[in-house]
Amino acid sequence: MNALVAALRKDLLLQWRGRAQAVAIFAFGAATLLLFSFAVGPDSRALRQHAAGFLWLGLLLASTLSLAESFDLEVEEQALEGLLLLPASPRALYYGKALANWALLALLGVALFPVMVVLYDASTPQLAGLLGIVLLGTAGLSAPGTLYAAMTAQTRSRQTLLPLLLFPLVVPVLLASVQATSLLILGDPMGQARSWATLLFLFDVIHWSLGGLLFGQVVED
Amino acid sequence: MRTAGQSRLSLASVALGVVLLVAGSYWGLARAPPEIFMGDVQRIMYVHVPTAWNAMLALVFAFVCALMFLFTNDWKWDNRLEAAIEMGVVLSILLCTQGAIWAKPTWGVWWDWDPRLTTTAVQVFAFGGILALRAFAADPMKRAVWSAVACIVAFADVPIVYFSVKWWNSLHQAQSTPDTVSSAFHWPLRINAIGILFLWTGLVALRARLGALRLRGELAPPDGGPPLVTR
Amino acid sequence: MRGVIEGGWEFVIAAYAVTAAVLGLYASSILLRLRTERQRAMKQVP
Repeated sequence: MNALVAALRKDLLLQWRGRAQAVAIFAFGAATLLLFSFAVGPDSRALRQHAAGFLWLGLLLASTLSLAESFDLEVEEQALEGLLLLPASPRALYYGKALANWALLALLGVALFPVMVVLYDASTPQLAGLLGIVLLGTAGLSAPGTLYAAMTAQTRSRQTLLPLLLFPLVVPVLLASVQATSLLILGDPMGQARSWATLLFLFDVIHWSLGGLLFGQVVED
Repeated sequence: MRTAGQSRLSLASVALGVVLLVAGSYWGLARAPPEIFMGDVQRIMYVHVPTAWNAMLALVFAFVCALMFLFTNDWKWDNRLEAAIEMGVVLSILLCTQGAIWAKPTWGVWWDWDPRLTTTAVQVFAFGGILALRAFAADPMKRAVWSAVACIVAFADVPIVYFSVKWWNSLHQAQSTPDTVSSAFHWPLRINAIGILFLWTGLVALRARLGALRLRGELAPPDGGPPLVTR
Repeated sequence: MRGVIEGGWEFVIAAYAVTAAVLGLYASSILLRLRTERQRAMKQVP
């Protein structure tokens, strides 16, 4: 547990030191939101209809940048080998990294939300529910993303590999988050948002456990 | 020569599979009566359903290989894993194509967001991505471990994808399932299923052999001495 | 319920042709790759 806290502190500190990077990733996400509206055209009704989809696509695209970044640092100076020499289990390293990535992605989601509201006129009164969906959805991106970033950071052409591996895997996250967010924005007469949240929660439980179980294999020789 | 005997056995399995496939397809195309509602288009099912079963089976085998590799660290499971993933991806691509060809005359569109078709497409990318990862990982040991890990994660993901797409698309479900196939239609289906099974197991064995040869080349020291790993 | 779908043989033939082509091409690619690899291995270890 102590090792986990230490690993989390290390990764949060790394992200705080690299906050210029986080701002750049936010700018990237906001730019994609702007671009999506150009692809649809100035039809405010259609834009509002698809606002949730654009928000999550923007977040997904931005997440590949931040996830890849989180392991580039470890691989560059062979810091990972050093970390593995410490008397800490690789599981603690994984959960520290995944939690830090989750925090960054959730923050990114919260930051992109007002951009979506302004651009697409898609607000919701249920801010707490929306925050819950953002937390559940970004947790689903962060767990497999951290696991795969640990592999792809050590390969040639990692820029291509991480999205290639991650996108098919997080199809359920994208579907469920977009549906739930859409229901919150456009109204949810049947109360379906909760079932999508349950699906997200299940996905998170499965992938957070799998990641912890398998990460040791990935980094150890 | 043990290996020569093994490849002869694999070739025999492939040949048997081809014979069964030709027989089953002849039965399905020429001798089986047209279906009541679907007419002759239903005949696509005689090859489509066996492909679906075998694609799933190949990926289940890949999952087993991944677990076996992580537990034993024996290279032969890595070779089989690579072969099984490749076969599963080829069969899944084939499945999508057949599905699209079947969808056009029955649903009027090439593609429908049917949970099975969509999950198969996701499957192609999820497991195809692992083949790409293998191509870009230089170290054989890391490549083997990573593809085993990625295979387990992707395999666990397939049912979640299926259920989320099913739920997502529950508003316009217009599936015609093979359950509607009456018992008179079962034989060509079964023969083709067993034919594809023999075909792919033979091919996977040959592909694993190819992987083992490549691996031996990779692990061998450059001066042509004995290989570092003899397994 | 709509009636019987008439014809559609071109789709049936296309489906079987695609299946034969994909499986055939994949099988021959394996056999070809295996032969090249065997020749290379023979050259490496005489």
